[in-house]
Amino acid sequence: MTMTLIQTKTLASQAASIEFTSIPQDGTDLLVLTALRNSTPSTGWADALVRPNGATTNLTSIALYGTGSTAGSLPNSTDIYHQAVNGGSTSNTFSNSTIYITNYTASNAKSITVDTVTEQNTTLALAAITRGLWNNTAAITSLTIVPTANNFEGGSTISLYKITKGTDGIVVVS
Amino acid sequence: MPTQTYIPLANITLSSAVGNVTFSSIPATYRDLVLVMNGTSSSGNPFAFLRFNGDSGSNYNYAFMYGDSASAVSSTFSSQTTGFIGNIDTGLRNNVIAQIMDYSATDRHKTTLARSDAGLVIATSGRWANTSAVTSMSVNVNTGSFSAGFTFALYGIVS
Repeated sequence: MTMTLIQTKTLASQAASIEFTSIPQDGTDLLVLTALRNSTPSTGWADALVRPNGATTNLTSIALYGTGSTAGSLPNSTDIYHQAVNGGSTSNTFSNSTIYITNYTASNAKSITVDTVTEQNTTLALAAITRGLWNNTAAITSLTIVPTANNFEGGSTISLYKITKGTDGIVVVS
Repeated sequence: MPTQTYIPLANITLSSAVGNVTFSSIPATYRDLVLVMNGTSSSGNPFAFLRFNGDSGSNYNYAFMYGDSASAVSSTFSSQTTGFIGNIDTGLRNNVIAQIMDYSATDRHKTTLARSDAGLVIATSGRWANTSAVTSMSVNVNTGSFSAGFTFALYGIVS
């Protein structure tokens, strides 16, 4: 199997970020699965940022979203967003996201695909797909997920996997 | 998305621009296929399409929604000769991830879910109206070509 777990991090208590360092350079793509809850005491959600190599520049994204009552699309010229449900929302709920980074060691700009869902007993819901780009040619060696407000709650979990391309010796590509 | 197993089947990094890439002799070993594509196009901001088993009949149907950073749009197409999976915008780093469900089944039509990240963010669901197992799959653009350096990786997903 080429989908290999690199590391899972589960917060024992609140934290201002979740970071993976020393990411192995022998994979092709990275897959990140997140379950996040923000410490903000109100209902709703707070945004969370994806920062390869800790970058705060050259990050852009376009999101397509639906809330149950409306659908729209938003640009962002400085960050790649997903969401974490707030601490004042329904107990025991987390926002879940899938983050896929293609060719993370390649010396070209990095495509970052994000799918997110947040649901609160139908009263508050958000589904979003996001096209992200880190316009940097450096290989990704670390990845940080940062809340835009307050902290991530204890129990928030992120798993990082690497996916490695190859051949089975049967399929022919031409 | 549940944890999946990505079994590597084939991959290619283009050494020169081409308009078509074909995966053939695909074994019926797995439940789903995942195709990951990344790169840019030579000109014309083309669309990317899938064709299964060389079928050029009007057997492809799809619905998509996209966001252009200002609005959300959705549309459908039926009885097409290829299945749309995304945009390959010229001069941009494009990413397409397409999952072909139950590709080896012989009792159902084949569904494709695709995500395309380029100048737009696009999600597509498609159906190939054929019960044959998928044994080959071609990816093509409707104009221009995939540029040199474009990467294609195909994986099998275990049931």
